[in-house]
Amino acid sequence: MSTAQTASAAPAGTGVRPARRRRAPRAKAYSAFRATMIAVVVLVFVVPLLWMVMASFKTNVDIQNTAKTFSFTPILDNYRHVLANDDYLGFVRNSFVVAFLATGISLLLGVPAAYSMSRFNMHKSALVVLLARIIPGVSLLVPWYYVFANLGLVGGYGVLVISHMFILIPISVYIMMSFFDSMPRELEDAALVDGLTPIGAFLRILLRLSVPGMATAAILSFIFSWNNFMFALVLSGANTKTLPVAVFDFVSYASIDWGAIMAATCIMTLPIIVVALLAQKYIVSGLTAGATKG
Amino acid sequence: MQHRHAARIAALMAAALGMGTLAACSGDDGESTTLNVTLANHVWTDIITEKIPEFEEQSGLDVVVTQLSEDQLVDNYKVKLNAGSADVDVMMYRPLQVGKLFGQNGYFADITDRVSGAGDWDWEDFQAGPVGLTTYEDQVVGVPMITESEMLYYRTDLLEDAGLEVPTTMAELEEAARTIHEENPGTAGIVMRSQASAAVTQLSGFLYSFGGTWLDDQGHSAIASDEAKEAYAYYGRLLHDYGPDQISTDMSWPESAAIFAQGDAGFWIDASSLYENVYDPAKSQVGDQVGFAPFPAGPDGSRPYNVAAWALGINAASQNQDNAWAFIQWATSPDMTLEIQTEGVPSARTSVWENPEGTESFPEDLAAAIAANGENGVGQDRPLVVGVAEAREIVGAPIVAAITGEDSDQAAEQANEQFEAFLESDG
Repeated sequence: MSTAQTASAAPAGTGVRPARRRRAPRAKAYSAFRATMIAVVVLVFVVPLLWMVMASFKTNVDIQNTAKTFSFTPILDNYRHVLANDDYLGFVRNSFVVAFLATGISLLLGVPAAYSMSRFNMHKSALVVLLARIIPGVSLLVPWYYVFANLGLVGGYGVLVISHMFILIPISVYIMMSFFDSMPRELEDAALVDGLTPIGAFLRILLRLSVPGMATAAILSFIFSWNNFMFALVLSGANTKTLPVAVFDFVSYASIDWGAIMAATCIMTLPIIVVALLAQKYIVSGLTAGATKG
Repeated sequence: MQHRHAARIAALMAAALGMGTLAACSGDDGESTTLNVTLANHVWTDIITEKIPEFEEQSGLDVVVTQLSEDQLVDNYKVKLNAGSADVDVMMYRPLQVGKLFGQNGYFADITDRVSGAGDWDWEDFQAGPVGLTTYEDQVVGVPMITESEMLYYRTDLLEDAGLEVPTTMAELEEAARTIHEENPGTAGIVMRSQASAAVTQLSGFLYSFGGTWLDDQGHSAIASDEAKEAYAYYGRLLHDYGPDQISTDMSWPESAAIFAQGDAGFWIDASSLYENVYDPAKSQVGDQVGFAPFPAGPDGSRPYNVAAWALGINAASQNQDNAWAFIQWATSPDMTLEIQTEGVPSARTSVWENPEGTESFPEDLAAAIAANGENGVGQDRPLVVGVAEAREIVGAPIVAAITGEDSDQAAEQANEQFEAFLESDG
């Protein structure tokens, strides 16, 4: 339909105006506008990613060569180089351990906290929690380092998990709080009438229904933790270095291995995409279930 | 009930903190056998980390290496040293960028007696310029191990095609850049750094060669002198008139090196330590057509920077200073220095440069140019102040003005005022 219209509209400029229905030009202009905007947004977001993926398959000479932006002989040397570095897989593991623990514990603490803040009108306390998110992380680093170094914790997983939780708990509390706010109290009342304790109602009814919210909180938390650079830079040790810090291993004083950086970044991005896709399913299924229609 | 809980938790945390402090203090009695060494990503580091097992065997120590890229290294130090951490024993650092700041903050241990009492290790062997940079208020605080100087890189084929000799003066350089730019459409005559802060170090050679300085004898800003204005204007003119088309003003060395390595420029002026980026065929399309020459002479002669790029120091708060010194001595011994220099890392030891073995790994003209720069070189490539990063932004502004074709004299006057105010408050 649209192609036919485009074809018939083409000679329009030549002078012979075909008679058209009134609404068609506006609808067409709208769809053209829509397509352009989508294209612009997609370009802005996808081009850097595409460039990254392509560069990871190029030699360092080709990466800099604008003539070979799209036509180049793909090589796997960059990936070989990155994966041959024994430490790199260790860094992947470190990132997973820290991100999973920090996300898990934050949800464990944040979800009940959000529930009580929502149900017992403690929105002012919630502001205090948010404060942790407002303070610039870098201002915390020196005191943290001082305290954790004295406790002998610097360089271990624990300190990374704790530092990430400082940001992740406010994230989960805030997401979950608005989620619980939107849930009708009748659900709980019904559960209480049916003989559940308040905690039972929370565990058996509300928690089940809040899976989409938790999935959202989990994705955002996981992504933050996975990408966090600043805390890991100072608080991690040689054996607990996480990926964002490790990527900089390919930047040296007088040389930069762009190919390896791009390969390392691709390897680093992959798990995030997988996690996001997996968790997205829960969000979608949760939203369509319509549990709160009552 | 809740209050009692909170109080109990607070007490527990306080106890834990106290125990932590005690544990940290218990190191006072004897030195630990674990040595924490923090190093920057560098070829030097790659070579030395491979050899560390030898050191561990000799000394019975357990060496833990933390390796970071330059910017991350500085951030890391700032947090750790500020917190008085003893987790860093040996620290690799950039004397030019942080030497004064760290010295003023008391982060460095005084190693004057250690270096002068080291006998065969031979402190006298180190070049005077670099040693000056690792000395803070008459105390030696670091051992320089990597040097670099400002180098003229050129394309042998383009010069030959144009029938040009390698330029030895500023006037010849401008003429050659003009010729190459005119005869090769699409090719820049010359490429250099164009981002304000990054270009400051490369401007320094021009500044000195035109007879200027960053600071005068009284420590006041000297960047509005006639010589300095000339240097700014010349640097900017080269890039504005003969540089890459539509030149951006945010190029540091990776960008300018890339343009030269792609074969898109006739000349490139930057640090000698970067030569692999344009010479190594794995990184450069023109690797076999690159020539190296000493920095061209201005009215005041050829006066490039020749500096200690990196040095090793000891953290003042380290509980393990004897072992840290043992490591530094091992890593900078004459034999080790020679071995590392043969892998292409220019050292600060005179004896290694005099030894034919020490220069044979470098391309011949590169070694000759480094040697010439060593004789004429000035021991600093940026204003030596506490807040180097901010100072670079200020004194770099006229460079950008000159590159974009604005009035660089006026920009220099303006920068001069700002720099003077900066020196009075923070310098």
